[in-house]
Order: sequence, then C-alpha cells, then structure tokens
Amino acid sequence: MWTILKDLIKYNIEFRIGATLILVVLTIAGLSLVSPYPPNVTYVVAPDVPPSAAHWLGTTSRGQDVLWQLTFAIRNTLAFGILVAVLSRLLSLAIGLVAGYRGGWVDRLLMSINDTFIVIPLFPILILFYFVLRDRMSTALLALIMACLGWAYDARLIRSVAMSIKSREFTQTSIFSGMTTREILMREHLPYVMPIVFSTTMNNMNWSIGLEVTLAVLGFMDIDTPTIGSMLYWANQHTAIVAGIWWWIAFPVGLVVMTFVGLFLLAVSMNEYIDPRSRLARMGGGVR
Amino acid sequence: MTALLKLDHVSKMFVRGGLLSSHRIAAVRDVSFTIAADKAEIVALIGESGSGKSTLARMILGIDMPTAGTLELYGRNVAKASRAERRAFMAMVQPIFQNPFEAFNPLKKLDRYVFMTAERFGGAAAGEAAQTAAAAALKKVGLSLAEVRGRYPHELSGGQLQRVAVARALVSNPRLIVADEPVSMVDASLRMAIVNLFGRLRDEMAISIVYITHDLATAYYISDRIIILQKGEVVETGDARSVLAAPRHPYSRKLRDSVLTADGPRLSASS
Amino acid sequence: MTGPPVLSVENLQAYYRTRYFGVNREVRAVDGITFDVHANEIYGLAGESSSGKTTLIKTVAGLVKPPLEFVGGAARFSFLPGHDALATAPRAVALGVRWSTLSFIMQSSMNVLNPLRRIRHTFHDFAFRHVHSTRQEFGQQVLDHLARVRLDPTVLDAYPHELSGGMRQRVTIALATICKPRFIIADEPTTALDVVVQKDVLGMIRQIQRETGSSVLFVTHDMGVHAALTDRLGIMYAGRLVEEAPTRRLFAAPMHPYTQHLIASLPRIGDAGHRQSLEGSPPNLADPPTGCRFHPRCPLARDVCRASAPPIIATGGGHRVACHVVAGAGAS
Repeated sequence: MWTILKDLIKYNIEFRIGATLILVVLTIAGLSLVSPYPPNVTYVVAPDVPPSAAHWLGTTSRGQDVLWQLTFAIRNTLAFGILVAVLSRLLSLAIGLVAGYRGGWVDRLLMSINDTFIVIPLFPILILFYFVLRDRMSTALLALIMACLGWAYDARLIRSVAMSIKSREFTQTSIFSGMTTREILMREHLPYVMPIVFSTTMNNMNWSIGLEVTLAVLGFMDIDTPTIGSMLYWANQHTAIVAGIWWWIAFPVGLVVMTFVGLFLLAVSMNEYIDPRSRLARMGGGVR
Repeated sequence: MTALLKLDHVSKMFVRGGLLSSHRIAAVRDVSFTIAADKAEIVALIGESGSGKSTLARMILGIDMPTAGTLELYGRNVAKASRAERRAFMAMVQPIFQNPFEAFNPLKKLDRYVFMTAERFGGAAAGEAAQTAAAAALKKVGLSLAEVRGRYPHELSGGQLQRVAVARALVSNPRLIVADEPVSMVDASLRMAIVNLFGRLRDEMAISIVYITHDLATAYYISDRIIILQKGEVVETGDARSVLAAPRHPYSRKLRDSVLTADGPRLSASS
Repeated sequence: MTGPPVLSVENLQAYYRTRYFGVNREVRAVDGITFDVHANEIYGLAGESSSGKTTLIKTVAGLVKPPLEFVGGAARFSFLPGHDALATAPRAVALGVRWSTLSFIMQSSMNVLNPLRRIRHTFHDFAFRHVHSTRQEFGQQVLDHLARVRLDPTVLDAYPHELSGGMRQRVTIALATICKPRFIIADEPTTALDVVVQKDVLGMIRQIQRETGSSVLFVTHDMGVHAALTDRLGIMYAGRLVEEAPTRRLFAAPMHPYTQHLIASLPRIGDAGHRQSLEGSPPNLADPPTGCRFHPRCPLARDVCRASAPPIIATGGGHRVACHVVAGAGAS
C-alpha cells in the first residue's frame, strides 16, 4: 500500500496535485473539530466583516465566521458525498456483476430495472421527496435516496466488463476448480472491474455533491445544518452579491471546486495505476 | 459395463438473429461415439474451424447442453442431472484449454487454482493436505511445488503453464480429460513434453483423453482412435494409425494431403 | 543466388525499454543479428515465442515505436542506398517505399482490412497513391492482378466479414503484392488458417514470388511450412541467429543442438517412434543467460559456452552456425 502511494507521488504529477488539493480540503474539514464556534448558532461575531487578521475569511451577514462555518460545511458535504458514493457503488457492483455473469433472464430482468432507473428524472423526484418528507428530510435520508437513484449508469458499465471477462478461459478454469459463483465474482472478476468502480466513485461523488449543493441553494434541504449548499443558500437569502459580501460566496465555491478538481485528478491518476494492463506491464508480463 | 462417455445422435443448433429474422446454425449434427470405462484411450477429434469440435468439447464438459440426442456420463444423462450430480461430473471430467496464458487469471497466483481444486474436488482438507495433493499432481507432470508456488502466469512459459493446467486437472482424480487444442499455442520444442504426458496419463493412470486438434501429426503420434469432423458431422472414424495411413473419405484425404512436414515435398507454385 | 543482397542486416540491435512507475526493464529482443536476403528468394525465419523474430521484422520494416527502441546496427535495403535502417531514415523516405517497394503481409487479415469498406475501396485506399495512373487504369490493374493470382473478381464487391478466413488472407496477399514490391515481409500469414486453406495460401505466395522475382522474408514458427516453402532458413533463439542454411540442407543435416532437437521432436504421420522434447524453456529476454543463450538447455554445453557468446561462423555450403562446440569441429 505504502509503496503504491510512494510510487504515485514520485511519478505522477496529476496525483501530486490532486492529493495536495484533497489534503487541503481534508485539513479544513478536520479543523471543524477545533472550531471555537458551534455550527448552528448565529450572530456570534460581528456580521459582514471582510477578510482580515481577526477573521481570515471574513464573516457572514448572519454573524458567523466564514472560515469556521466552512470547516463544518465542507465536512458535512464530503461526508454526504462519500456516503452516497459508497452506497451506490455497492448497489451497482452487486447488480452489474450478477447481471453480467448470469446472463439469461436474470440479466434481462436486472437491466430492465436498471434502465427504468436511468430514465427517472432525478431532480423532480428529489424535489418531490422533499415536499413529501419536508421536515424529516435529513442529509442522511437524502444520501440514501440519491444512492438508490445513482447506481444505474455504472451498473451497466460494470456489467459489460463482467460479460467480457466471463468469456475468458480462466473463468472456466475457476468453475472447474470448484469455485462458487460468489467467489468467482469477488476474487477473479473484481480486480478487472475495480478501475471502473474507482473512476465512477469520483464521478459519483462529484455528482452527488453537486446535486446536494443545488438542492440546498434552492432551499430544499435542512438549511440549519451547515453544508456548502446551505451556506450558499443563506448567502443568496441575504443577497450577498448585491450587498458586496463576496467572501461569503467565493470561499465556499472555491473550496468545493478545489474538491471537485482534486477528486478528478486522483481518480484519473489512480485509474491508470490500477488498470490491469498497466499492472501487468509493471509486474513484467505483457511485453513479449 | 456402462461406458464412461456415450454420445447418442447428439446435435447442437444455434439460433442467431433477432425477433424478425433469425437463422439456425447446426454446429454439431448427429454425432455418436462411445468411450469405454474399462480401458483408457486417447480419442482424437480432428476438424478444422467450423467443424463443431469445440462445441462438442463444451457439451462433454457440461458447459453447453445438446439440443437433440443424449450425452451420458457413466450411464447418467447429463442434461437431466441434478446440481449435486453436475458437481460430481465436474470432478470426473476436467478441461485443458488452448491458450495457456488465458487459462489462469493473469492477476492472480497460479498455485491457488491447484489448491482449490484439491480442496473442492480432490477431497483434501484445506492447508497441509491440499498442498500435499497439489505437490503430488505437479510431480506427475514434471514440476515441483516450489517452482510454481507464489508465481504469476506471466512468469512461466507456455509449456510450463500448460503442465500446471494438466496438474490442476489431475488433482480431482478425473476419469476423462477434455483437451481442446492443448498444444497449438505451445512452442514446438516444448510441445512433445505435453503430448508425451498425455500418453503417460493414459498408460499409468488409466485416464481417457478426448484430444481435440487440427494437427494430424500429433494425433497420429499419440491417439488410439480418431474421429474426423467436417461441418459438424462425423466423416470418418477408426483406429488412428490406419485411418491416417490410408484415409478413405475424400475430406480425410484432403486433410492428410495438406499436412506439411519437414520431409515432405516442396510446394509447387499453385493456387 | 548471386548478386548483391536486397536486404543486408548487420549486427542489428533493438530492445524494449519500459519505465513504469520506477521499474526499468530492458528486454533484448534483437541482440546482434546478421544475415542477408538475396533477390528472387524466399528466406525463412524460424523461432519460437520470445525468440525475437517478430521484433526483428518490425525493426527491419521500420515499425519502431516506444517501448521498442532501435539501439544499433543496420538493416540496409538495396533500393534505399545511403540509409542504414528504415527505422532511422526520415519519414518521407519510409513513406516512399511503403507498399510500392516494401510490403507487409500480416498474421490476421482483420488487422488489414477495414470491416466497413468493400474490398475494392480497400484496394483503392492502400494502393492507388503508389500507382501513377488514372482511376480506370487502376481498376483494370486490380482486375489483372486478381486474375493473375486466381482470385474471383466478385470478391471486390464484398465486405470482409462476408468472406471466409482463407479468402480474406488471399485478398490481403493480393493487396500486398499489387504494386509488385521488391521485398515482401510475411509475419505468420497462415498460422491462423486451417491446414487445407494454408496449403492454398502458401501456394499463392510462392506463385507470386516466382512471377515477380521479389524477395520474401517469411517468419513462422511452423517448421513444416518452412520445409515446404522457403529456399533458405535462419533459426532464431533468444534474440540471436543460431543457424542458417539452404532449407533442404538444414533439414537433412542440422548442426546447432537447438535446431537438431527442434527437428527431431517434430512428429510425422507414418512414424510412431518416440519423440522427445527439449528440457527447460526459452529464456527471459530481460535477463538472458550469459554467453551462449542456449547453454542452460544444451546437452553439449561446456565452460566456454557460459563465458562467451559464440560468433556465427560459415561452415561451407551456405551453412552458418553459432556454436562453440559444433563450429569448432566443423571448421577443422
């Protein structure tokens, strides 16, 4: 594990930049643990103060320090993104691998369900959920709903990889060695599927964070828990741009962009590393 | 005495195409032959591409089912077998594939497959017992466990990999091995080791082998019986040496005349 | 075969160099090979996997792309004086000879034929720019050529997938020879074909060669094909040329231990005698044995074999061998 990281840091500039960006983001998120101000309380400091020595990133119109709000905001947003990504990966892996391997009616059934989910218009559905659940809509529940809606594209990708591996002879060798279907999927096929899972995880995180920010900006979220989106919501409510309070918008946006770019670069660089062909080339096989 | 393997008018039809237009391809047409249980033999299935030999191999291994006719292993119809019976069949009939580099997952270590076969089909307990069984099987093919332990497929040559594949097949104590073009992708200088190994399996361990190939020379060298297939049908069958020395069917003659050997005549400019 | 050689390879070296995440590997696929191909002959190159034969022809044809690197030596063509190798020649020079003077027959016809174009369009794509004539004249040239190689002209209207594998390969050969190139490189052209079709395709290659008088460098691992088709034969092992002789002579009296074992291990219909295969396996070219690369598997190996690589020495009758033990005995 460490050698892999060392290699990546040494040789891959995309990884270096991506890792640096994410480290910055994570540090800021970690700072939330030592925040002198609790997240939900308003008017604890003088409002509308521009970035200065006392308040590095300024303060909001609600009397909150932007920097410390941001730490909570990015922490919650990241947690949300990770939760959605993990849940939907599990779903798409399970469905994609099984559909690709079993084929036949199982495949057709699962893919019909899959295609239905792809076609569902996400945004109206999410708004619908909000209106139905209103007060009970917490970030955790939203994460669950989005995970259940976000697995469909990637399941198909994983299924196509699974189908191509199934036709390779080593799958038959595994069967005749007595492996069960579950073992074959987990141990033989998973390494080939991992590059796709990885890059789609990053995509998925970007997608879910983006959607969360959008929903929160529009007010369709629990706006008391600070997230990047809710910060922007409040900034809009107080017409921050018009009032000239640019720091309230710029810093959250900047931070979330940094997160997106960092995740993207990480995905791209690690993808090249995990790809079976490049792994083989490094192990020594491949060049004949 | 029930036969080890019995094919009775076996056919396999594939349907290609969609809802509105489809055509049927007969990959295997009305093939019948038997392999006796009391005497081990090597039966060569000879044919070119499109002859149906690989489809036949898949049916004997239980990967595909015939669309007509019956295929019986020790008297039990494979198509009607229960799950437990199918698993028992797998232990009895093991495959060897054409491409030794694809037979094992390139990202995983080789020894795993041999140990696993020992545990699941060879009746060995996990750990020590499996390792002993694996070492014994590897020894029979001329390799040692130390040579193979912890290795990845790309670290061995095609000949060695194919021998590991044979060892893996042997660990389950099979009665029949189906070898689909086992030496066509192995270097010429290493080929005979595998072919000679098949002979030893038949003579010393009483394992019958269905040897699928398009290479008439190795078929002549090692097989007892030979079945020549053309477009899914059997065109000639009989004792290997006599059929190849004096083929009767025109297609068999054409096959035999097309074989190029080191001491054969030079090619004239023709078309 | 008198006259200056059409291709003169001299101490050619080409290695694969990979740098992946800090792991540097150098695979010496072609390590000092010297041979000539004369006019109007079929020169066979035999060798097993990892012998370097595919790398050799890629280098000779100038198809050198990373991780393959041209390291040293020369591969001179008589029709390209002044250039030591196509791999190092300027691009315009290489483009000038491709297809018109030097052409390539590949193993898989589907690597050549565009599945979305009819055969006649593929002919146009490949050959028209080298032939300085009008479209009509070119069309007629194609028909003449097909007639000469006895291919049915209806094949021009077909798509590749409508033809059988053997037919596709014959089309590929017709494609490669329409400009009457002086040098043809064939890389395992019949390996993927059925044995009956193989005979036809090889006959076609022979016929074309006889009619145009071109030179053919024919690479395959199949010794039977070499025996039937080639005029002279070179045996490669682990990146080096170990023996070379006129084909008949080589099969009748091979000198190098590797060649002897190789030929002796070939089974023949009509001969049920025991065949023995070689011990061990071909070496890893990233870490080859010192001295003679065959010595770990050689029954005649001596100390000198471990110490230094044997030079390839002529032993008379067009026969060359690279072996300390055998060449020493033969020369005296």
